[in-house]
Amino acid sequence: MRAQPALRTRNVGKRYREAWALRDCTLELPPGRVSALVGPNGAGKTTLLRLSVGLLTPTVGSVEVFGESPTTNSVRALSRIGFLAQDHPLYRQFTVADLLRFGRSCNVRFDHELAARRLTQLGISLDARAGALSGGQQSQVALALALAKRPNLLVLDEPMSSLDPLARQEFQQTLMGAVADGELTVLFSSHAVHELERVCDHLVVINHGQVVLSGDIDSLLAEHRLLVGPRIETDPRGSRSVVEVKHSDRHSTLLVRQGAAAIMPGWQANPVGLEELVLAYLRRPVDLEAGSHKEPA
Amino acid sequence: MTWMMWRQHRSEALALAIFVGVVAMVLFILGRPMHALFPLGSAHCLAPPLDQACRSALVRLQQDYGYSTAVLILLNFAPYAISGFLGAPLLARELEAGTWQLVWTQAVPRRRWLAFKVVALGTVSVLLAAGLSAVIGWYRRPLDLLGGGFDITGFDLTGVAPMAYTLFAFALSVAAGAVLRRSLPAAAGAFVVFLAMRFTVAGWIRPHFVTPVTRVEAFVPGSGDITDGTSNVQDMILDQGFIDAGGRHITGLGAVIMEGKAREGGGDPTTYLHDHGIQRWVVYQPIERYWTFQLIETVTFVGLAVLLLALVFWRIRRSAF
Repeated sequence: MRAQPALRTRNVGKRYREAWALRDCTLELPPGRVSALVGPNGAGKTTLLRLSVGLLTPTVGSVEVFGESPTTNSVRALSRIGFLAQDHPLYRQFTVADLLRFGRSCNVRFDHELAARRLTQLGISLDARAGALSGGQQSQVALALALAKRPNLLVLDEPMSSLDPLARQEFQQTLMGAVADGELTVLFSSHAVHELERVCDHLVVINHGQVVLSGDIDSLLAEHRLLVGPRIETDPRGSRSVVEVKHSDRHSTLLVRQGAAAIMPGWQANPVGLEELVLAYLRRPVDLEAGSHKEPA
Repeated sequence: MTWMMWRQHRSEALALAIFVGVVAMVLFILGRPMHALFPLGSAHCLAPPLDQACRSALVRLQQDYGYSTAVLILLNFAPYAISGFLGAPLLARELEAGTWQLVWTQAVPRRRWLAFKVVALGTVSVLLAAGLSAVIGWYRRPLDLLGGGFDITGFDLTGVAPMAYTLFAFALSVAAGAVLRRSLPAAAGAFVVFLAMRFTVAGWIRPHFVTPVTRVEAFVPGSGDITDGTSNVQDMILDQGFIDAGGRHITGLGAVIMEGKAREGGGDPTTYLHDHGIQRWVVYQPIERYWTFQLIETVTFVGLAVLLLALVFWRIRRSAF
């Protein structure tokens, strides 16, 4: 028996007028984990996140959060979801206390005390106007609002992209503290791949509006190997286990999945770093992704 | 939610309440001396025969309060001023600031959120319009003696129609905000459409709500002068002129020439017209139909408002913002 996934999408697609922002996206997020959604700009990250919190309705396919469709926009479904949109929008004319009151008046279970305490600890005055706070403080207020809802799934869209390094670190600390406190599943999007290993344990990579890689970071790293050997002239990319091929003058480097398989003599297998792995998948042209959704074992 | 509404819209609501209050006060100050001209009430001077007091009061009303027409015409913008301020930012401001993503992921389904906002702000708009309409109704009562029962200095400012216009302007501003996604363009766009709609209905459609009354009257020889229009200045005259002995209608320039001919001899023109078998002819909407017309116009604009709001609700359900 597997635990019910926190988020499950099946063949989800979203079309804006003529263009598909997201196509045939199937993925499952394990509960109680921190998952990162990685992809270049315009890959469909924001669309996927908005679909998962019910802000958008999929054109095709289905989305479920703990078995319930967020598209229904029911009080129950909304109560389980916390969302922090890109650039952490807040009512700028409101004071922080006003924002907390807003949260309390619009939610069934809202931990006003906790949010107020957290913000006070961070040195954010409840009487300050949201518009007058720094970017880092605004993001903290937005995060406190989302956490005070006591969501089961917290979705954050590029939460740290606009923050300076110090604010970024503080934000991560708050987030990780909340994850440690309770049953919280987190999904956040990012394009800062190098930071991911520290904060998340599950990875979803999307490109050209499709999921190209999804799985636990540890097992993804264990499954992939960099094979270095004498230069080969054939293009082995037709094989499904080969992710990427690079040639130098005398050598070829292959990034392969199924690293446990026996390798040819004269070849050497090396482990691959997370950033390298992600970039290799992002570099793959769109035609190679068609119908290649691989679920981790 | 109630607190949230108040917190978010209190500045506009207060500004509008002050606006309506100031307009009401100005109208009260301007209207008191006007009402004082008719110590027995202006209705006393409506039906002939008019006594001396009425006649002199009427002259003074025309001389001293002619500016009131301009004031009243300006007040036609009030329904838009009231509800555009509340309606245009309702969705557009959330979309501009990105806060739609904040508020629609709280545990209030967004259609409920929208319904709450529309009902609350729509009610505020209509109540403010009702207050203004009541004050204007009082202010312009003496001006009934000068006409305006069906035009934009009377009909459009009194009764229940102004509330319907306000609701329409509100729905229009909300819808414009949903489509244009920015408060200012939404307010401007809604203003243009509001004016176009109001002009079309008031100018072209209203005269034909109900088949007008046609009255043909023979001239009484020796009655003095050619009387204009109908017996009540409040009626809406659509067309008037003469009918000659052959039953042909004479209107416009033909009627002016006919009147000139009748006056040519210097005698009583009615005798001339009577002798030539010419009759007075007038097509009009009598003031007795005021409430029927108010009802038709109210239903029209409330219907349009409901249609627009339904579109907004439909749009927000799928939400491709």
